[in-house]
Amino acid sequence: MATLLEAQGLYKFFGGLTAIKGVDFHLNEGEILGLIGPNGSGKTTLFNLIAGVFRPDRGSIRFGGRDIAGAGCADVCQMGLARTFQITRPFPLLSVLDNVKLGRAYGSKPARTLSLAETEAIEILDFIGLGTKRSTGAGRLGLIDRKRLELGKALATKPKLLLLDEIMAGLNPTEMEAASNLVIRIRDAGVSIIIIEHMMRAILKLSDRVMVLNTGEKIAEGLPGDVIADKQVIEAYLGVDTHDAQS
Amino acid sequence: MGQTLVYGVLNGALYGIIALGIALVFGVMRYLNLAQGSLIILGAYGILFLFHLGVDPFASMPLIAFLLFLLGGALFWASFSRLIALSEAGRIKNSLLISFGLMLLIDNLATLLWTGDERSITPAYSGLTFGIAGLRFPLIGCVGVLSALVIIVALHLFLARTYFGKSIMAVSQDHEAASLMGVNVNLTCLVSFAISVGLASIPSALIGLKSFSPTVGIQWFNKGVIVVMLSGIGNINGVFPAGLFLGIMEAISVYFFGAPYREVTGLVVFVLVMVLFPKGLFKRQEL
Amino acid sequence: MMRRRAWITFCLAALCFGFLPALIRSEYFLNLFLMFFLYVTVAQSWNLLGGFTGQISLGHSAFFGTGALITRLIWTAGVPIVPALIAGSLSSVVLALLVGVPCLRMRSAYFPIGTLALAMIAQITVANLFPLPGSLSRGYLTGYSMLSRYYLALLVAMLTVAVVYWIVRSRTGLALVGIRDDEAAAEAMGVRTFKHKVFALMVSSWLVGLGGGIFAYHQVSYYYSAPFELSWSFLPTLTTFIGGLGTIAGPILGAACFLGLSEIFAISLGEVHLVVFAFTFILVVLFVPGGLMSISTKIRSLTARIARRATRV
Repeated sequence: MATLLEAQGLYKFFGGLTAIKGVDFHLNEGEILGLIGPNGSGKTTLFNLIAGVFRPDRGSIRFGGRDIAGAGCADVCQMGLARTFQITRPFPLLSVLDNVKLGRAYGSKPARTLSLAETEAIEILDFIGLGTKRSTGAGRLGLIDRKRLELGKALATKPKLLLLDEIMAGLNPTEMEAASNLVIRIRDAGVSIIIIEHMMRAILKLSDRVMVLNTGEKIAEGLPGDVIADKQVIEAYLGVDTHDAQS
Repeated sequence: MGQTLVYGVLNGALYGIIALGIALVFGVMRYLNLAQGSLIILGAYGILFLFHLGVDPFASMPLIAFLLFLLGGALFWASFSRLIALSEAGRIKNSLLISFGLMLLIDNLATLLWTGDERSITPAYSGLTFGIAGLRFPLIGCVGVLSALVIIVALHLFLARTYFGKSIMAVSQDHEAASLMGVNVNLTCLVSFAISVGLASIPSALIGLKSFSPTVGIQWFNKGVIVVMLSGIGNINGVFPAGLFLGIMEAISVYFFGAPYREVTGLVVFVLVMVLFPKGLFKRQEL
Repeated sequence: MMRRRAWITFCLAALCFGFLPALIRSEYFLNLFLMFFLYVTVAQSWNLLGGFTGQISLGHSAFFGTGALITRLIWTAGVPIVPALIAGSLSSVVLALLVGVPCLRMRSAYFPIGTLALAMIAQITVANLFPLPGSLSRGYLTGYSMLSRYYLALLVAMLTVAVVYWIVRSRTGLALVGIRDDEAAAEAMGVRTFKHKVFALMVSSWLVGLGGGIFAYHQVSYYYSAPFELSWSFLPTLTTFIGGLGTIAGPILGAACFLGLSEIFAISLGEVHLVVFAFTFILVVLFVPGGLMSISTKIRSLTARIARRATRV
């Protein structure tokens, strides 16, 4: 299997704080990599490094063979790397359709015309289950629909790699089940995924491999079952998510 | 050259005082009050009115300060209080828009009430000067420097030593944390906004003794905002040195390029600083 | 469907205003309509940057004034008005590139203050460089025709509305409104936001520069710094907000209201219309972010609902 994303020796400092400390990892094509760790362990910072929000202070990130460290969000997105935001960021004054259409019009393989972009955006909305709400203002959506839209916006850019940041937070078990199925369908459509999630059950079920961060360092990596049995991982989560991790 | 520098320092102190009011609301609430200059001019009309009744401008200043304080509180209650819940960028943008409308409102009301003519308050001592070491010092300008120093020290002590001052500092650092610690954020914002408008009374008197008309408020606001940006956002202690810096820069430019370009100097410095040093020149500590 | 209706409205407006001078000979009314076209030009061009891209500029007077200044200088030097107008408006774009682009580099919340500073620099500098009013020479005065001014202003206003409409409906327009709503999210979806903001600024300054050129062509005698006055920055901000930010009809509606009010009050109380407008502006920012347009949409949906209920009965 070919390697899609490869990061080596990543460091990111904020003032005196070391947010990411020498992280190496890779992602194969068609793989789902789970990224877990306690709050403040640097998961979202790592996403921001990959997605081009921050330039790493040291280290390299190669995506599809090209170095993308510090390339800038728009460029990284146009190369086929999309992300969702932990706190959803819809364009509130635009309709749901226009939110997704923007991704089809820009993104990595933009539609040739705006009307073509619209047709494809409608397909995406049907896929994520927002087809009936296409003319609603995005600012008026409820939480679940906002999460769906966040995913739809990322999918609309036609990514090869999708970074999902806590898309299941705040969902009930049924909704979570639906979201998991959606993630698997996206992967089956040929998109590789890195997913941050606090819900252990979901992430263990979804991921092919899991990587654990603690205070900016990678403390474990491997198959889901092996990783949660790791002593260091249990310690890192002690008192926070142990119960959830063992269940 | 020496004489030019004297005027530069005197003007700079005035800029510092103007900037104080702008810096206070900006530091505490991230509100940019474009109407501060217009409020200063409004105060100047008040002082002029009392002067015609026979009251000395400096004697009427406390009354005008109190009236402006009340007006500031009312303005905050009626409009600006609605923005507190917004994000930082939203607060800057919306407060700017509201105060922009307010500025036009005050300026045009002033034009209706008092016509667009240029006015000036002229007590018997207005032209007095005294000489030290061959340089001439205008009396009123020196009073301006003194009052600027007194007010800045007083404000500093108020913020650092009093209970209410400390709650203002707390709110300026983190609204949410302050409210969790039992600080009444809305009241604190209201009072600090009212104080900043009340502070306008000092430049009201000093500008009133020079000359003013309804539409010059924006120019004085500009001096103030340049100083605030130079000093660094939220850095009240840097306001006075930054004001002096601007005054001296202007004086030097007058010496080299002539008086017409005095205004341009400050603005060019401002644009350059905004682009090159977005964090300000005199940044030392957060408010 | 939308597109065709917009076309029809556009052509009807062009026909009506085109034939208006045949019906109304009064110089006063032609002047009034010319001012309306000018206000629409200024407000609509501002709307592209402020309403659709979310970058509130208080510096449009600098671009308007530059357009006026260069057009006037070239035109009075003997060049026909159309090339002079084009040169004048392009010089506005040059100014925007030189000084407006650095302003876009500032944190976006400070863009209004940065552009305001620019407007003031431009006004003071021009007032110092050209202290005397510029009057038309005798040759220009004998050839002065109100109709040619009227039609040129109409043309520029139509062009402005068409260009803004076209951009807003295009792929670029989608990116612009995305930037307005959430710049970081737009960037994350592959939009090069800075480039787009520069583009919006360039088009906006070009159109407002054309407006300045109309001012220079229309006015017989004025101080060269007059079109640089800050009121030319404040006017589009007020009218667009009150009419409806980020809509095509909003600035047109706002400009009509502004002109109407100022004419009503002009005879009795000079500045009352500005007081009314400033007050309305504050209310709009606080309570009705969509301006008059959103009120009209609400009324329309309300009447539609009532009509539906009536037909059901």
